Amino acid sequence: MTQQNIEQFTKPVGNANEINELLRRYGVKFGIYKNGVFNEQFFPFDPIPRVISSEDFKSIEKGLVQRVNALNEFLFDIYHDKNIVKDGVIPENFIYISKGYLAQCEGITPKNRIYSHISGIDLVQAKDGEWYILEDNLRIPSGASYPLIARELTRIAAPDAFSENEIVDNRNYAKLLKETMDYANCGGVSAILTPGRYNAAYFEHSYLAEHTGSVLVQNDELFVEDNILYHRTYSGGKTRIGVLYRRIADEYLDPLNFLPESLIGIPNLMEAYRSGNVGIINAPGNGVADDKGIYYFVPKMIKYYLGEEPILKNAPTYLPFYDNDMKYVMDNLGKLVIKDVAEAGGYGVVFGSDLTKEKLEEFRKTIIAEPRRFIAQEVIDFLDLPILNNGETVMRKADLRAFVLSGETTKVWASGLTRFSRNPDSFVVNSSQGGGFKDTWVLKTST
Amino acid sequence: MKTLNFSFSTKLTFDDYVHDHSFALRIIPPDTESQKIISCSLNISPSVITKQTVDAFGNNVTAGYIHSDHRFLDFDIKGTAEVDSSKHNIFLMPCYLYQSEYTNPDDELKEFYSELKDNCTGKPSDRAVYFSDILSDLIEYKKGVTTTSTTAAEAFAMRAGVCQDFSHILISLLRMDGIPARYIAGLAFCDGETHSWVEYWTGDHWEGIDPANNCPVNDDYLVISMGRDFRDCAIDRGVMFGRYTQQLQLVRSVLT
Repeated sequence: MTQQNIEQFTKPVGNANEINELLRRYGVKFGIYKNGVFNEQFFPFDPIPRVISSEDFKSIEKGLVQRVNALNEFLFDIYHDKNIVKDGVIPENFIYISKGYLAQCEGITPKNRIYSHISGIDLVQAKDGEWYILEDNLRIPSGASYPLIARELTRIAAPDAFSENEIVDNRNYAKLLKETMDYANCGGVSAILTPGRYNAAYFEHSYLAEHTGSVLVQNDELFVEDNILYHRTYSGGKTRIGVLYRRIADEYLDPLNFLPESLIGIPNLMEAYRSGNVGIINAPGNGVADDKGIYYFVPKMIKYYLGEEPILKNAPTYLPFYDNDMKYVMDNLGKLVIKDVAEAGGYGVVFGSDLTKEKLEEFRKTIIAEPRRFIAQEVIDFLDLPILNNGETVMRKADLRAFVLSGETTKVWASGLTRFSRNPDSFVVNSSQGGGFKDTWVLKTST
Repeated sequence: MKTLNFSFSTKLTFDDYVHDHSFALRIIPPDTESQKIISCSLNISPSVITKQTVDAFGNNVTAGYIHSDHRFLDFDIKGTAEVDSSKHNIFLMPCYLYQSEYTNPDDELKEFYSELKDNCTGKPSDRAVYFSDILSDLIEYKKGVTTTSTTAAEAFAMRAGVCQDFSHILISLLRMDGIPARYIAGLAFCDGETHSWVEYWTGDHWEGIDPANNCPVNDDYLVISMGRDFRDCAIDRGVMFGRYTQQLQLVRSVLT
């Protein structure tokens, strides 16, 4: 299908107000901490779907499977023999300075050698149709539940749209997730660990638990005895947990192995994990692979581990750590986007073009002083998508978070989370920064 | 080579009942090239099922969980080891070259290092001895001024501390100097508590140095645990629930 044919899909599906009202009723929200105060925000849904042709999706799918397989190989290598460092492909300090590298995970091999069971890979499509990888999220990528529930509700509001168009059904996400969890299970029930309802993605935790038939648990109901993870049931008994899809960050996971002050972790969970008695989704220590500094090296990883050419491109990226790249960054700072490798969620992203002359000079000095802290990228002129704004169609920047699930095989969910920026001048589409989301349609066959 | 008999006991007491007490002990000395554990027995009271694992740094971890109410946790260990410091451990984890939470230098410590670095040349062993000499003149061995959570930078600012602080400062200097270094918790002839010292990488093996006593490590030192800094090596760590307001920890160790 040509781009032109795809452009026929610029009509809203169903009534936006009606669907947004339903989303509110189902409690589809995400939480934000701002100035220390927790606020729950509604995540607005835009009724004009993003449509991806079948050919486009096939190529994205191949590229994502390749990328995630290479990232899994990389994680195994880093926590074992470190051949990619010994062979000089990645400089040693990029690994060990990364906050995501956890020495406590050295030598641990998760079941079936899978580290990133659920990968959220952010892509953008440029105006020429080419797709670029923006970043990899291999820790606890969130967002799959929003398009899922939106699709469910849109089907109710506008059933014709789905009978008239050849759209791949995306309601299999829970099934894919359940298969992934089962494959990582070391014997026992499946559980989703939530830090509680004051978490940004709490809605998603409960939604996914319900749809995968997992127990939704909090840490005070869990304990490790005999290096086995148990859930204390309401009757006072105990049930063994075989796989824990945890929605809390690594550093809070186990106060006896990581941050001792963590009140949301499970003491000795790492001992149960190390003993092979429980699977943890995603594996602790994955942060070393989705570090913004490591992103630069992913195409090299694909060649190194798989002996293949990368199918999907990275955005052109420069590491001020290398002298040549530093020179380029200094000469072109005004047109580049600079990212602080330690920040996430759209924070720590600076567009050179937004800075005053003085700020630019100041920033230049910061980069020279701490070259390892930043990456610089060309600003990709990515495709605007139509969104409905007070009844009018306007164009906004949008990205796509694709979900890749690694179980017996690596699979890409034929949908994803399309987020758009509210502000017409903004390139930042992170949900923590305002903005909304769309349904993502993958078309069945080419015509 | 020397045969050492070791014993070590810790008593944790609480002023009220605690429950759901999870603990991880790093107390069973590891078997390494330079020390062979001939025998070792561990007793824990109240009685509890425990499991052993080996952590990323090569330490023996004893994990346990006590669900019911209790007011104390005692554990003691007794055993015999053959120590031969002329035999070398040769496994290097790259992370030991990089600063860790307790060893991260502040500006003062960085400046101190930059003033020293021109005076110190030669092999890693020469530099380690040089740094240890300097520290032994500069830092006062003093109990009660630092705690187990004092960092290298904080202890350095006070110019005082105990063996743990000497170790952290020396590790920080060695890593700034490009020499991988690790923290050792163990037992030594010189005191009735646990001791701490440092191992640095000579280029092909680990070598021990005791900065608190400014001397090399010999066959009178028994390694109990090792890691990037104190945090990886705590003899016991625990999480418990209850209305206790204080806990008292008594430690006794004997090495003969």
